[in-house]
Amino acid sequence: MKNKIITITFLLFLFLIPALNIIAPEKSISASERRKLEEFPLLTSETLFGGEFFNKLEKYELDHMIFRDKFRTVKAIAEYSVFNKYDNNNIFIKNGYVFKMEYPYNQNYVYDMSKKMNEIYDTYLRGMNVYYSIIPDKNYFIKDHDKHLFIDYDDMISILNNEIKNMEYIDIFNCLSLGDYYKTDIHWNQENLGKVVGVIGKKMHFSNDFNDNVFEKKVFSHFYGSYYGQAALPAKPDVLAYLTNDAIENAIVDNCEYTGDDKSSQKVYDTDKLVGIDAYDVFLSGATPFIEVENPKNSSGKELIIFRDSFASSLAPLLLSEYSKITLIDLRYVSSEMLGELVDFSNQDCLFLYSTSVVNNSNILK
Amino acid sequence: MVFSSITFIYFFLPIVLILYFISPDKYRNYILLLASLFFYFCGEPKYTFLFIASIAVNYFHGILIEKHRGTKIAKYVLVSSIIFNLLLLGIFKYSNFLISNISNIFNIDIKFVEIALPIGISFYTFQAMSYVIDLYRGEVKAQKNIFNLALYISLFPQLIAGPIVRYKTINDELVHRNHSFDDFAYGVKRFVTGLAKKVLIANSLGELWKLAIYTETPSVLFYWLGAIGFTLQIYFDFSAYSDMAIGLGRIFGFHFLENFNYPYISKSITEFWRRWHISLGTWFRDYLYIPLGGNRTTKLIWLRNILIVWFCTGFWHGANWNFIIWGIVFGIILAAEKLFLLKLLEKTPSFFSHLYALLIVIFSFVLFNSSNISDAVQYMKGMLGLLNIPMFSKEALYYLGSYKVLLIAAVLCATPIPSNIIKKACQKNKILSAVNNLEAIIYIVLLIAVTGFLIDSSFNPFIYFRF
Repeated sequence: MKNKIITITFLLFLFLIPALNIIAPEKSISASERRKLEEFPLLTSETLFGGEFFNKLEKYELDHMIFRDKFRTVKAIAEYSVFNKYDNNNIFIKNGYVFKMEYPYNQNYVYDMSKKMNEIYDTYLRGMNVYYSIIPDKNYFIKDHDKHLFIDYDDMISILNNEIKNMEYIDIFNCLSLGDYYKTDIHWNQENLGKVVGVIGKKMHFSNDFNDNVFEKKVFSHFYGSYYGQAALPAKPDVLAYLTNDAIENAIVDNCEYTGDDKSSQKVYDTDKLVGIDAYDVFLSGATPFIEVENPKNSSGKELIIFRDSFASSLAPLLLSEYSKITLIDLRYVSSEMLGELVDFSNQDCLFLYSTSVVNNSNILK
Repeated sequence: MVFSSITFIYFFLPIVLILYFISPDKYRNYILLLASLFFYFCGEPKYTFLFIASIAVNYFHGILIEKHRGTKIAKYVLVSSIIFNLLLLGIFKYSNFLISNISNIFNIDIKFVEIALPIGISFYTFQAMSYVIDLYRGEVKAQKNIFNLALYISLFPQLIAGPIVRYKTINDELVHRNHSFDDFAYGVKRFVTGLAKKVLIANSLGELWKLAIYTETPSVLFYWLGAIGFTLQIYFDFSAYSDMAIGLGRIFGFHFLENFNYPYISKSITEFWRRWHISLGTWFRDYLYIPLGGNRTTKLIWLRNILIVWFCTGFWHGANWNFIIWGIVFGIILAAEKLFLLKLLEKTPSFFSHLYALLIVIFSFVLFNSSNISDAVQYMKGMLGLLNIPMFSKEALYYLGSYKVLLIAAVLCATPIPSNIIKKACQKNKILSAVNNLEAIIYIVLLIAVTGFLIDSSFNPFIYFRF
């Protein structure tokens, strides 16, 4: 009898899963993993006999498996709870915060980062007021009392300070704490950036600091950050707050990724993105190589150029009141050799603002 | 296609099961044959015709041997068949090894041939050879039905990574086999257990070797962690494949012989090779060692025989010098054990004899898994603390901590302890016996966990594919 039960249960499970898979509507994007899913492979004699078809078919099946996210959750639970692993795909959870191990420490890439910044200075920025600041990733705040592996932050900053010439360093490590970051995402929370804006403002000689500005706070209360999908474990959503004022509301945004009507309707806060794959893209519409934000409310003619990663998308709006124009350049998507064609470098302020994760993997910069 | 893939578990297998079990008996072999050829085609489309040709050639050799039994012609046909199979293996597996060595010896630049190693060629050529040799020896009769012989050679459960099933083991079942719930359930249990061993244990342990190889903070502990990780991985990977093969075979009514018997509990290398990859060991014993004269000869020739067999065993595993040396080292150790070491080991406390066997196995797998001999030597130096590196590193301690449960579980499951405990507990304890009746749920939970792990990872090849 027992063997009959085993046989029947196995067969039921084996037939049920593919049957559900066939019935379920096909998805093209995984929201939790923020990526396009594999498409059904092209069937030609070349792909069939070359082996490509069956390789891609397995990838397709893996991507389109019914209950994909639930199965990933099973794996995550097994890793943490059964095998007691310290991380699952480098992701771990501590005190409700989801972390991704930034390891190993790539000292060579830190040197490369310094070299790249010096080259950009020598090529475009001579004589300008140039600053740089490094944003600690979340791991920095738990490194002294946690068993996970961490990069050597002190060494990283020391190398940058020694190697980078002609730029003033703005230390914001002490302005931040873990609570200033989202629990389910890599990024910092814009509404907690008061101290950062204050320190940057002081170094860059801003007239106002963050607290004197009047911002209206708007919130999106169901923000599942990028680490949420990677963790594949149940977690409460973050509240994503974005701060706005007259300067921000009336800013003219020129994002090189958009054309036509889309371009002219661009805003600093692209609220359509709140219900998209990544709600953090609400800030300046997410990743883009090059974006200019003009502030008609400021007639000083002061301009700021920020070499940046995604962290700056939420910081830049807070600096907008101080400038007539802010230009953001993301060297992950545009080559530094092309900058002369995009920007007329003259007497703008310039800020290199990168997270430790990008510095530790600076090979992604072009 | 591999067993531990979504395509196999949730598409190929259910379709084959339906087609097989709804078909009348007389069509079932054809269903299995077509399924097996399709299974091979999925993994190796361009070599499928070569595979079919190999089956046909061996079939006709078999027919000729039967026809000319007892005459010299039968012997010639046997030699022709062996040459054909070895040539096939030589061309596709060893050409570039030969070219590279000739180039090195004569300092000339010969271009490599662009030939990919056909999946499973080492296994199916050995199966085919065992058929014609057994036939020549009169141990089996020629299979007149080419489809039945094709099914024997191509049967998908054991096609690409063994065990090397002898024709005489399943020749009766090729013609007539029984199906029952008992066999099916046993097959399911072995198949799912194999899947779990492969996906939940072996794949995870495989990470340790990679971490130890690529770390920027090497330490003695890390090298040991990598070596032990791989030693456990290769056992769980390969024995898992055998479990799945035996399980799938049983579902379709075939009874394959066991290929592993807890090799890591061995107290000597002789014992280890009686428990590890049994089908390969017995193949070389029956078709090479004994025909060479075995041990019923002078000591010198016996030694030669052992070295030839273990040279071939190493070479069979891969066209690289580290595999050859790996085999020869085992040959030397086995010879030493037979000459004097075994007697010494019998007098040694079992803890030490066990440690002796395990250390040799661990170091041998370092040689086995390294890209070349100098990498292996470097790695072993690291394990022995000869590289001017610290004993521990933060990274090594982290991964030791992170993998400790998996490592302990793997070590335990590599012994009969857990299954003995469960068996005894079930006999004595009524509650456990009741749990035992819920086995079906346990296997479904395992299947769900396996699916979760498979979905979470995208690349998952079996180690033994490269052979």
